[in-house]
Amino acid sequence: MSAPAKPIAETLGLRGGWRGKWLPWALIAPMVLFALALTVLPLCYSLLTSFQEYRLGQPPAFVGLQNYQHLLHDLNFRGSLGTTLIFTIAATGAEFVLGLALALLLKEEFRFQGIIRSSLIVPMVIAPVVVGIIWRLLYNADVGLFSFAVQALTGKSLSVLSSTTLALPALILVDIWEWTPFMFLLLLAGIQSLPQEPFEAARVDGAGAWNIFLHLTLPMLQPVIVVALLIRALDAFTVFDQVFVLTQGGPGTATEVATLMIYKSAFRFSQFGYGASMAIALLVLVMFFSAAVTRAFKGKA
Amino acid sequence: MPRLSSAVRRRLWFLTRLSLIVVALIVTLLPVYWMVNTSFKNQVEVFTSPPTFWPQNPTMDNYVSLFVRRHLGSYLLNSLIIVGSAVVLSLAIGSLAAYSLARFVKGQLRESLNFWVLAPRMIPPVALVVPLFLILQHLGLINKQLGLILVYTAFNLPFVAWMMRSFFLEIPMDLEEAAMVDGATRLRSFRDIVLPLAAPGLVATSIFALIITFNEFFFALILTSTPAAATLPVGTAALIGKTQTLYGEMAAAGVVAAVPLVIFALLVQRHLVRGLTMGAVK
Repeated sequence: MSAPAKPIAETLGLRGGWRGKWLPWALIAPMVLFALALTVLPLCYSLLTSFQEYRLGQPPAFVGLQNYQHLLHDLNFRGSLGTTLIFTIAATGAEFVLGLALALLLKEEFRFQGIIRSSLIVPMVIAPVVVGIIWRLLYNADVGLFSFAVQALTGKSLSVLSSTTLALPALILVDIWEWTPFMFLLLLAGIQSLPQEPFEAARVDGAGAWNIFLHLTLPMLQPVIVVALLIRALDAFTVFDQVFVLTQGGPGTATEVATLMIYKSAFRFSQFGYGASMAIALLVLVMFFSAAVTRAFKGKA
Repeated sequence: MPRLSSAVRRRLWFLTRLSLIVVALIVTLLPVYWMVNTSFKNQVEVFTSPPTFWPQNPTMDNYVSLFVRRHLGSYLLNSLIIVGSAVVLSLAIGSLAAYSLARFVKGQLRESLNFWVLAPRMIPPVALVVPLFLILQHLGLINKQLGLILVYTAFNLPFVAWMMRSFFLEIPMDLEEAAMVDGATRLRSFRDIVLPLAAPGLVATSIFALIITFNEFFFALILTSTPAAATLPVGTAALIGKTQTLYGEMAAAGVVAAVPLVIFALLVQRHLVRGLTMGAVK
């Protein structure tokens, strides 16, 4: 890996000549072009729009920091950030605990392990929109299995998704169902790639299962755990599809997560400028969070 | 409490483990089964209480109606065209870039490039979607297959390049050098030596790209709207509004949208872990 660049370039026939000099760049160019046109340009455009009053059918007008000032006092936006945060922490946390438990449960070889592992990851390959449909069918007060079970147990008819207090937990449950398999898959792969010697040594010394888990498995697994939590947290923080299909943010604003709120303000109320400023704020939060996590675990991971 | 013999303890642990696994399987699969079950029921049976665990008069009406009246065939075709094109494009472009990054970039630059390749993946989609909508509208690419193909290609590129780079790095340089010492051109050594060795990487990467793109909803919802270009998730979500209480049809649409990928995932099971974890775990 650390071999000096020159001999390799020479062996590969890169010495001299315009072809040799330009080839590495020519290979990267198409990707850079795509990134510039469809990521960097839109991002700059977003930033520009966030300083404008921009509604459909009207020419955009520059308004400086007005959108951002509005943002700071917008209780709906603050509320949606709070909802998103609760959703992210609860879902990611539960998925981690359940995924780890499943991984520990299934880490040893056993009969039918292939088919069982494949079955367990079915939810994560199903489109989030379809996951929404599945849970609409379960939660529905008239036809839902979930509601039927609740009614049989408590005698009360329950429409979970139209309850201000239960709608958010219901959405969190859906996310847990869909993404625990992801945690399971990542952590299982992590556990299986750990070296065996420390565990054997600990067992010879007579350490109990719980101690081995706490003082060996968890610390050695830390890099995988950090990556898994980060990926899931970032995705949960920008959740949209299942919420769109199941509640559209309702009842009221009980489940209005940030991405949904921005979508509504831009594409339902065509306030492109204000929507862009909220999107930029979200981007800054996400970058700040990722940078903080990466920095905290750098060197250890 | 009397001390249990180790054989009994092992037995107990085995039974606990078994029952926990069974519970996990039921919780995972029952919701999916319920959708399949509902999709074969007629409108009367859907509303029967208590619900039936097996369709009493199984019917294909829901599926027929979807394809005859709800354009599901068009949505499916759009999905196949858009996803196929975007995956092939991003794999071709991303692999070239990845090869260059793996072979020609060294030292300090390599570390920082590592970050910049993957950074776009961290951007919340919602931060890009407003300007993308305005740009594509300007170009006349709203509700066009091409518009979504371009957006998905750009969206896939960061992790395709990132994953393929890690696969290329695993291929020893000596092999290529040996071939070239023997007189092969760089192009030939790439085609005959690097590509075959990178094949598992290409498979894992396309699996990931395919699942992500096929299931993508947010961009598709905003950039396409009619059966002319809308993908399966968008068409399925649109059905929910239109069918109101036709839960059988809704379930059938869900089955159509889910089945291709579930079967695909089972087929490629062996490559799935590395694919789904973006190459982070072997």
